[in-house]
Amino acid sequence: MSSILNGIPYVFVAAPLFAFILNNAVPRERMRSHAVALSGGVAALQLAAAILGFALLAASGRGEVRFGLFWSVDAAGAAYLRVNLVSLFLLLCVGFVALASALTAAKTIDDHRCSFANLFMALLLGMNGMLLATDLFTLYVFLEITGTASFVLIAMYKSSKGLEGAFKYLTMSALATIMMLTGLALLFMHTGSLAFADLGAAALSGASGEMDILCYGALALLISGFAIKAGAAPFHSWLPDAHQSADTAVSILLSGIVIKIAGAYGFIVLVELFGDLYAVRLSVAALGVATIAFGALLALVQTHFKRIAAYSSVSQVGYILFGIAAGSPLGLVGALLHVFSHAAFKSTLFSGAAALHEQLGTLDIEQMGGLQKNMPVTGFASVTSFLSAAGVPPFAGFWSKLLILISLWQAGWIGLSAAALGLSILTGAYFLRLQKKVFFGPRNPRWDDVKEIGGTIRASQIVLSAVNLGAGLCFPLVLLYLQSIGLI
Amino acid sequence: MFKTICALLGDPVNLMISMCALPVAGGVLACLSRGRSRGALRMAVALLFGAANLVFALSLYLGGGASGALALGVQGLELRLAVSGIAALMLPFAGLLFLIVAVYAASWFHKREGGGAYMLLLFISLGMLNGALMADNLGVLLFFWEGLLCTLFGLLLIGRRENSKAAVKALALSGTADLILMLGILATARLAGSASMSEIAARPLSADGPGALGCACMLLGAMGKAGAMPFHSWIPEAASDAPAPFLAAFPGSLEKIAGIYLATRIVTDLYEFAPGSPMSLFVMVAGAVTLFFGVAMALIQKDMRRLLSYHAISQVGYMLLGIGTGLPVGIAGGVFHMMNNALYKTGLFVAAGAIEDQTGTTDLHKLGGLRRAMPVTAACFFVCALSIAGVPGTNGFFSKELIFDAALESGTIFYVAALAGAFMTAASFLKLGGAAFFSEARLPQGRRNIREARLGILIPAVLLAALCVLFGAYNALPLQTLIGPALGDAHIHAGWPENGTLVLLSSAVLLLALADHVYGRKKGGGALAAADHIHYAPGIKQAYALAERGLLDPYNWLMAAANGFSAACAWIEGGVTWFYDKAVPGLVTGTGQTLRRFWNGSVSRYLIIAVAGVACICLIFLLAALGEVAP
Repeated sequence: MSSILNGIPYVFVAAPLFAFILNNAVPRERMRSHAVALSGGVAALQLAAAILGFALLAASGRGEVRFGLFWSVDAAGAAYLRVNLVSLFLLLCVGFVALASALTAAKTIDDHRCSFANLFMALLLGMNGMLLATDLFTLYVFLEITGTASFVLIAMYKSSKGLEGAFKYLTMSALATIMMLTGLALLFMHTGSLAFADLGAAALSGASGEMDILCYGALALLISGFAIKAGAAPFHSWLPDAHQSADTAVSILLSGIVIKIAGAYGFIVLVELFGDLYAVRLSVAALGVATIAFGALLALVQTHFKRIAAYSSVSQVGYILFGIAAGSPLGLVGALLHVFSHAAFKSTLFSGAAALHEQLGTLDIEQMGGLQKNMPVTGFASVTSFLSAAGVPPFAGFWSKLLILISLWQAGWIGLSAAALGLSILTGAYFLRLQKKVFFGPRNPRWDDVKEIGGTIRASQIVLSAVNLGAGLCFPLVLLYLQSIGLI
Repeated sequence: MFKTICALLGDPVNLMISMCALPVAGGVLACLSRGRSRGALRMAVALLFGAANLVFALSLYLGGGASGALALGVQGLELRLAVSGIAALMLPFAGLLFLIVAVYAASWFHKREGGGAYMLLLFISLGMLNGALMADNLGVLLFFWEGLLCTLFGLLLIGRRENSKAAVKALALSGTADLILMLGILATARLAGSASMSEIAARPLSADGPGALGCACMLLGAMGKAGAMPFHSWIPEAASDAPAPFLAAFPGSLEKIAGIYLATRIVTDLYEFAPGSPMSLFVMVAGAVTLFFGVAMALIQKDMRRLLSYHAISQVGYMLLGIGTGLPVGIAGGVFHMMNNALYKTGLFVAAGAIEDQTGTTDLHKLGGLRRAMPVTAACFFVCALSIAGVPGTNGFFSKELIFDAALESGTIFYVAALAGAFMTAASFLKLGGAAFFSEARLPQGRRNIREARLGILIPAVLLAALCVLFGAYNALPLQTLIGPALGDAHIHAGWPENGTLVLLSSAVLLLALADHVYGRKKGGGALAAADHIHYAPGIKQAYALAERGLLDPYNWLMAAANGFSAACAWIEGGVTWFYDKAVPGLVTGTGQTLRRFWNGSVSRYLIIAVAGVACICLIFLLAALGEVAP
């Protein structure tokens, strides 16, 4: 058992690399038809490995599994990579969203399939690396890999909109890079090491017990950098433009997992290391409330389907930030579960967007209406997405939101908890508007002959809705497990 | 007789219950009569059940009263009944009047529609009235009281389902009075600690302080049932709409009996009613106002029904004035006046009904000189009119003198108001009699042959007139034998009043009324216009105009208040709807649009916003660190 457990982390590094090499080794003409399927296979493998690893690690009672490539990790002071329960859960989410994206890409990516597959694998590697890292600099390196892969994915088809979106992302990302590197440098100056084990509020205070102003500055810069990456308000400006102009399969990836791993996971690390400092948690909470509000208010007035979905992602990231800011284990669990449920329902929504784009050719919701009759599967899937986002039981979104609100309450931020609950009304509002305008309003006669989407997109919608509902229905099991380990 | 009937039924309680239940059975029988001979069937039922009811009531009275309780299945719930004193007297009196009006009704509906429903509701009303008279528990009383309200509503709806204005008005006004009565009963029961009337009678409550609410509310309820102001305005409207027998039965007799009975019980048994106390003043003022304004309105009417109905309202004022004084002579006078009024008012209504039956109209403009065509009706009318005017020697005179005596003792202004009322009563009956019977013969279109009234209507009228004469000539019977012992006071003075001045003043007022009538007749050119010089006198003309427009109608005030309240509620609801439909969504969408315009797609703007965000985060750090806010 433990040998399997020891071996699993290698999958997360080896599989994308292997697929990358295979993609380029085999001649292009032969690879073209199989490229996306290969990517999907890797995603599925990652999903399975993550589930297995999580179960084994939880059963074994070990805190983490260390591993290294080509060197021994047991020597003192050696660097290593590790998986623990948190990172295994997030690796699960990564695999899940990647699978959804691959299913959609099978239909929507027509040209440059091999390039897509390459970039996909690079992205996957970058995210996995972030989750396996044990020091801040490694984290940063993999963050950049993720970012670079994202830029190119967005701009892949060289449309003007795609280039524009990628450029905005690039520019904001550059600012994030500047801030993060400066922050890392300041920290390194202070402690001489960037490993997680060597950092911490205690380490930074040093002998005098007081923290240097530069250290505070470093933390502020790091927080801002991760905020840009996560799409927290007021740093979210790049997100809608990027998501809107990218191909839908890429949007699924960006919205479903990139902003979480690149951004929210960074916050998780920061709060884990420096959560004793009230300032850190307070600023994350402030970001959270601003994000939810701005995201929801702006989503209410958009006319492009994917833009609404993008702002919705912004808004949901706010909830995740809330969970992280609470600082308690329950808050972290709530945030992680919200990552999962948001991945599920946002992927559903974007799959629906792909279906609409394929069948209608446009994503302007002002021109749509009454499509429930023509595209019942897409309509049903989008309704499950809406219910989950709005936090309606028994969908998964309800449970994760509930845990986040409870953790906020326990942390003493009752006003924020109430505000989060109140802003859920806005979530419902913009989703209802979307539903009404697209599926349930008066019919536009232009779409009388539109048919339902078939193939992998339809399958992915059904599967994702099932996961959404199933995860919600099975949630009591999760709660029981949490109770058994003493979190609730 | 009482004993035999009791032996027959097994228990006094059964006797009392049957007095409530039998009339219902009779009503159902009368209603179910169909076919050719339904008129005769109904007459038979009326006679049979009316007589049986009268016999039962008499037996209760002669047997000295009874009391008992009927247990209803639920724990602790029982129907407590007790008959004694004034109730024992009222029961046979009501029974007698019922018999008369039931025969009148059966005859009236002989060839007309709506008879079945009317007879049914009339009989049920009798059952309810018996129950109310016999009730010993305030809750039981309330139950039967409300039953009377229901039958009243039903009666006014007969044949008029589309135009139910009078019925709704009656329900609203009478219902309001009943609600006030309910409030009074609750207050009384709470104050006394018990809802049993005989228990409260053992130690009457004080009408000052906390008792004032209960006493005033109960009195208002009783007054409302009797038809005093301000609960009066449905009666003239019902007078135009309802069938003629309704007027004889309800505003004429049955409702008065119920209302004045309750008022007497409150004043003698339930509360200590001291003469000169604020409560006494309250009742006397109500009585005087009703008296005066009721007859003022009656004076100008040109339709027989409306005229008589306004008089019915006015006469209640006399009764309340008498009872309100709190003096034994006043209370006895009020009760005696109620009995007399029942007799002569019903007589007048029956006579008017006879005229309507024969001529088909009650509009005085179209009638005239009927004394030749209907001599017996005219004679009955004459007798009853003399009684209501209070001509010395009639029963009305004796009861009025008792009231005048009591009023004078309580306050001169009340006496003056009562005298003025007597003046106007006499004047208006001179006008009515003159116009209908004693002017030159005038017949409505198409009616050539006016004959005397039918037997079924004539006999009740004659009977009532005869009783008036009896109570007048032999007034010792009612006063000393009946009312005195009922009220527990054996020293009621009967016979001519001791105070000769009162008699002289009353007679003077009557002569004045006659003179005024002659003057008015000459001025107006006919009996009908005999009151016009008062009607159109400067100052009074405007008051009458206001009243005719309905501005002085309490029902209209009530409706205006209700409309105002519902308008306020609608306004509030509009406000809430505006808030949820316009204000909040508008605000949210507006904010969203503003933000959207702010985030306009320019990269440089985005970068500036991002830098501003960094500054905010540094600010948060600064505040957290400086403020030393510990987690």
